[in-house]
Amino acid sequence: MSEHVNFVDILEPRRTQSGIFSFMSRNWRPQRTMVMDKYCSTQDLKDIVANSVYLDSIIEAECSRTGLSKEKLHQEVRNYLEEMGLDKKMHVIRWNGVFFLKICFMMKIKMFVNEAAVLTLKSKMGKNPVLFLPTHRSYADFCLMTYLCYHYDIDFPAVAAGMDFYSMAVIGRRMRETGAFYIRRTLAGDPLYAATLKQYVRTVVGKHAVPIEFFLEGTRSRSNKSMPPKYGMLSMTLMPFFAHEVNDITIVPVNISYDRLMEHSLFAYEHLGVPKPKESTGGFLKALRSLNDHFGNIYINLGAPLSLREYLHNDTSHSKETLKPVDLQQLTPDQFKKVQKIADYVITLQQKNTVATISNLLSLVLMQSLMKNRLLEYEELIQEVEWMVQELRNLGASVFENDVRSSVDRILVVHRSMMRLDKDRRLRLISGVLTDLSSEDKKKMKGHILQAQTMVVAVPIVQLQLYVNPVLHYIAPPALIYLIVQRQALSRDKLREDYRRIRKLLSHEFFHLEKDEENTFNKALDYCIQNRVISNSGDLYSLGEDTKLQYLLRWATWPALTTLLKAADVMTQQSSCGHKLALKLVQQRLESERVHPYCLSLEAIANCLSGLVAAGALVKLKGDQDIVYELVPDVMKESTILVNSILPSFSVDFANNFVVIDDKAISRL
Amino acid sequence: MSAAFASSSDSKMNNVENDNRTVDSVKKKSFGDKNKKNDTNANSSTVIKVKSVIPRRRQDLLKWYGWGYKDSMFKLGEEGATFTGNRYSIGGKILPHLSKWAIDNLGVDPTKPPTIPKIPTTFAESRLPEPIRLELEKIALVSVDGMDRLIRAHGQTLKDMSQLRSNSFPRIPDAVIWPESHEQVEKIVSCASRHNFVLIPFGGGTSVSGAVTCPAKEMRPIVVVDTSDMNSILWLDKDQLLAKVQAGIIGQDLEREMRARGFTVGHEPDSYEFSTLGGWVATRASGMKKNTYGNIEDLIVQTKVVTPRGVIEKSCRVPRISCGPDFEHIVMGSEGCFGIVTEVTLKIRPLPPVVRYGSLVFPDWESGFHFEREVARQRLQPSSIRLMDNEQFRFGQALKTENTWGGVLLDGLKRLYITKIKGFDPAKLCVVTLLMEGSAEEVKEREKKLNAIAAKYGGIPAGATNGENGYTLTFVIAYLRDVAIEYDVVAESFETSVPWDRTLALCANVKRRVRDECARRGIHKYLISHRLTQTYDAGCCIYFYFGHNTAQVSDPVNTYEEIEEAARDEIIACGGSISHHHGVGKLRKKWYTDTVSEPGRQLLLAAKKTLDPDNIFALANMAFEEQGNETIVKSKL
Ligand SMILES: Cc1cc2nc3c(=O)[nH]c(=O)nc-3n(C[C@H](O)[C@H](O)[C@H](O)COP(=O)(O)OP(=O)(O)OC[C@H]3O[C@@H](n4cnc5c(N)ncnc54)[C@H](O)[C@@H]3O)c2cc1C
Repeated sequence: MSEHVNFVDILEPRRTQSGIFSFMSRNWRPQRTMVMDKYCSTQDLKDIVANSVYLDSIIEAECSRTGLSKEKLHQEVRNYLEEMGLDKKMHVIRWNGVFFLKICFMMKIKMFVNEAAVLTLKSKMGKNPVLFLPTHRSYADFCLMTYLCYHYDIDFPAVAAGMDFYSMAVIGRRMRETGAFYIRRTLAGDPLYAATLKQYVRTVVGKHAVPIEFFLEGTRSRSNKSMPPKYGMLSMTLMPFFAHEVNDITIVPVNISYDRLMEHSLFAYEHLGVPKPKESTGGFLKALRSLNDHFGNIYINLGAPLSLREYLHNDTSHSKETLKPVDLQQLTPDQFKKVQKIADYVITLQQKNTVATISNLLSLVLMQSLMKNRLLEYEELIQEVEWMVQELRNLGASVFENDVRSSVDRILVVHRSMMRLDKDRRLRLISGVLTDLSSEDKKKMKGHILQAQTMVVAVPIVQLQLYVNPVLHYIAPPALIYLIVQRQALSRDKLREDYRRIRKLLSHEFFHLEKDEENTFNKALDYCIQNRVISNSGDLYSLGEDTKLQYLLRWATWPALTTLLKAADVMTQQSSCGHKLALKLVQQRLESERVHPYCLSLEAIANCLSGLVAAGALVKLKGDQDIVYELVPDVMKESTILVNSILPSFSVDFANNFVVIDDKAISRL
Repeated sequence: MSAAFASSSDSKMNNVENDNRTVDSVKKKSFGDKNKKNDTNANSSTVIKVKSVIPRRRQDLLKWYGWGYKDSMFKLGEEGATFTGNRYSIGGKILPHLSKWAIDNLGVDPTKPPTIPKIPTTFAESRLPEPIRLELEKIALVSVDGMDRLIRAHGQTLKDMSQLRSNSFPRIPDAVIWPESHEQVEKIVSCASRHNFVLIPFGGGTSVSGAVTCPAKEMRPIVVVDTSDMNSILWLDKDQLLAKVQAGIIGQDLEREMRARGFTVGHEPDSYEFSTLGGWVATRASGMKKNTYGNIEDLIVQTKVVTPRGVIEKSCRVPRISCGPDFEHIVMGSEGCFGIVTEVTLKIRPLPPVVRYGSLVFPDWESGFHFEREVARQRLQPSSIRLMDNEQFRFGQALKTENTWGGVLLDGLKRLYITKIKGFDPAKLCVVTLLMEGSAEEVKEREKKLNAIAAKYGGIPAGATNGENGYTLTFVIAYLRDVAIEYDVVAESFETSVPWDRTLALCANVKRRVRDECARRGIHKYLISHRLTQTYDAGCCIYFYFGHNTAQVSDPVNTYEEIEEAARDEIIACGGSISHHHGVGKLRKKWYTDTVSEPGRQLLLAAKKTLDPDNIFALANMAFEEQGNETIVKSKL
């Protein structure tokens, strides 16, 4: 998204004395997604589901299978519906709005929206269901689209929320009353629940004229970058289209970028294996207090709406499924494949709509400074950030900020607990605090139990990496090309082949679509040549002379490649190993080596294991309790050789890095 | 509850031990696998797996040498006849008049011990080559056990029974296979096409046309595809009033499952305790309550059929379509010759709140007939309306138990006789039985109208009990043929469809012809009787019973068949049809071409060539010839 997009801070008009109350109590006539003869109340929706032919059939079958009474199962369905069903209470919405705005002001947030996109979308609403598919990086995502809809007079989205919220006192209820519906994480083992959910979602999409919002990735991406999508929810929501109950479904990819994630330190710990605390209202209130701080900007970028019908080329082919009662119609395997394609595609659309924030750019600069173990003075820093802006724009990213200097100053305030200028106005990363984990915590650790010393070094750097991650998908393709060429000059075919293989190995760490790869490769190659990262004569590609850019490309993929190699090594040794054990072993191996701390990320390790599976170096089997990987020695060997051959070598001392400043030590002195 | 049969025997049937659905020759393993597979399939699916009353080893529950349940049969004896078992309302009761009736009408000697055949121990060896058997076993359960094969070699014709009792079938199947799903059937059919062996779809084996009987001259291996494991309700849509059901489900299972859920299919051929949905489709069956629910062709929305050339299935589930000839009608009545019906989408109806029986007595057949005609003209038929002739009325008397229904009828009549209808001749009077369904008001209204019409034709109401007992007997009558054979009487029924204007003449002429044929052969003890069982706008169905004593004849079955053939010739000459619902099969091939015309026959052959060019479904019904050794040799020359 390099074209210029105009973002507007929609909170700005509320920053007046009476701004909040009059706005939240105004007469509100929202735009619906569908014009219908009769609109369903939230109770109607539940009744339709409870009385559906589908659930009746499921219950009949279940009864005859288990001998349970129909009444009991009907009651169960009713209970499930009470658990999952959304509600809508206008007064709650208004009070929530007030509360939301108060908190935003407390957090000193600006909410930037590409207004033009919203208005175009709204003008086209009324004909068919609309899905909002935002990225999911923070719990805050849950409120943003709802508020945005209120602002632009669009009916509140029905938001799919995890059960973690359900159990939170008051908040769970309030979320339901603003349109959240609840889904359990696992549907396995409870067919009746799964059926109820399926029918509920289908009914909400087909019969409730409000936008539907859910997170394709299924969970908050702890790494602040795209993850491969989950397909279940999308299958359920697209069913009304495949059953021809609706004529089309409009899919709106949404990217939400944050200058600062509320959860960044929790995420950093999670990467290292310290489990997330259970959501509770108490915890929420505690968190509220810490919200009295600067959180910077949020960018909500709505992508161009995708017409499902057009995407499927008006495909009206129908299946034998139409012979069933419409309620009983299910996706055919072929249609499910289409759903998968759409899901993957939407993730790339979310990526394309990434707004690279100054937070991201400053973090890149700071990370580079750590890699070089070299301090940057303020003026140098500004220059570096400006250079980064330029480079990312060249790579196709959209950077909204133009006044770099003031933006950097602003971000330094926002991230003042993570980085700061020292007395010589040089940028420093603030060190972690040495905390001993209790034995309770240790028991809950998901991976290898890292030493306290490791954690102190790793936490702030992993946290910093979270802000580097969102732009890595721009950098990774040219970086890999560069690393391959750097190894040895080679022909385009050979280059493309190695590129393809390595991309596959990293397909989970850097999400991308296989079918776009040809295009991505060509563009990245052009980029490398134009920017003199590499040069070519005839069909031979060799190193170019832009060493500055080369350096950036070299370190950017270093953590991922390191993790990949270590995962490969460990798996070669183990030859067969359960998933959990594999994570532990790889993490343990990495702790003992001088690697980038982000390599210790359990998520990164898991991604690399999945990449090895995708490349065929491992076979993934369902074990009794855990997934088990089996080694495919030949493929693994080739993969290892390839990764080894392009892995850049760095020797960075993260533990005693000049760029890290230990404020506690200073204050103790 | 409608038929008394249902109320009296449903609950008992559930007690029948049918847990043991294994077949001796089958390894335990495959059975365990089967259950497991079903379980995962059923997960979060709408499939209702029905537990059938009839076990896979049919012979454990059913009489191997005759009709119905093992424990249910007529017994003649010196102290009076009985009907054994407790499945039917007359079960366990003494029938004091039956023996006398049998002596008088059929010359039976009840003092003689009945001839019960010994269970066969030797069987023709299975011709199915081992490798094919192994291939089939990978698809579904297979048995080559002799008994399993023998009891699936036939239907319920007189000839079938005679050959069964003497274990003298020229050909029995070489194996039996029990598919559970459409997909498995597809695999079986493709296996048969590949190896060129014969498949015979087998539902309940109640065919009375020879349709399901093994073709005698077939040289290739014959595998019977027993559909009884395909008995799941795939889905049930109470809103649309539709159900999609696997074709192997047995009538009483289907009806029980539906009723348990407040619905009914309403298709009740007299064989519905044992016949299957697929069998109904393949024979164009007709049910007793067709006036309310329709015959099978009215009930079916759609079928799915596996032919050797692929699956025939309409792409949409619609109430009607104008799209050239309707190929559902190629399937219906195909008598197994084109392929296997695997799934059927059926209409269902909510159970009627009120079911009421009724009966009317008429002075003679003709007035009863005119009453029926008038009811049809006004389209006032209740769910069932049947007219029995005087012979059947008397036979009904003979079946009365010590102090039950026959007595009631006679008592009622006696009273009426005194007060009202002096003119009724006991040797002429006929009875109409009625089965009415609907709301209380509807039923009351309908009964009033019917009584009014009856009055016009000299009929008088004879009470609900008589009506109900008439319907109860329906299911018991089927057991009579066995006891008849045991006492040297051969008996069979045949039926026809006939226009109103030719009905009376046809009835008289056929009876006359049968009497003449018997006389010519010196047969003096016989019964020829008929009833009018269905009415339509354009005509009705006449159902004949014929049985005779075999003392004077050397080849009883053959003699019977000759007489029946003569009767059919007469029927057709009188403007009746080859069949109303029993079908053509092998017994009535003679009249097929005349009935459908020569181009019609060509059309049937062309359909066969298209759907089953290698004659995998070599049942040789209708216009299809048996393919014996000679034909193969000839075609090679
Ligand atoms: C006592 C008695 C009473 C009867 N009453 C009636 C009645 O009231 N109304 C009536 O219509 N009929 C009646 N019949 C005849 C018989 O019951 C019907 O023809 C019935 O439809 C046969 O069903 P079945 O499942 O027993 O089929 P079978 O006898 O097993 O087979 C009959 C024919 O259908 C074929 N077939 C069976 N299943 C399939 C399948 N799934 N796919 C393709 N072909 C298949 C067979 O190959 C065979 O050609 C009666 C028979 C008896 C013995």
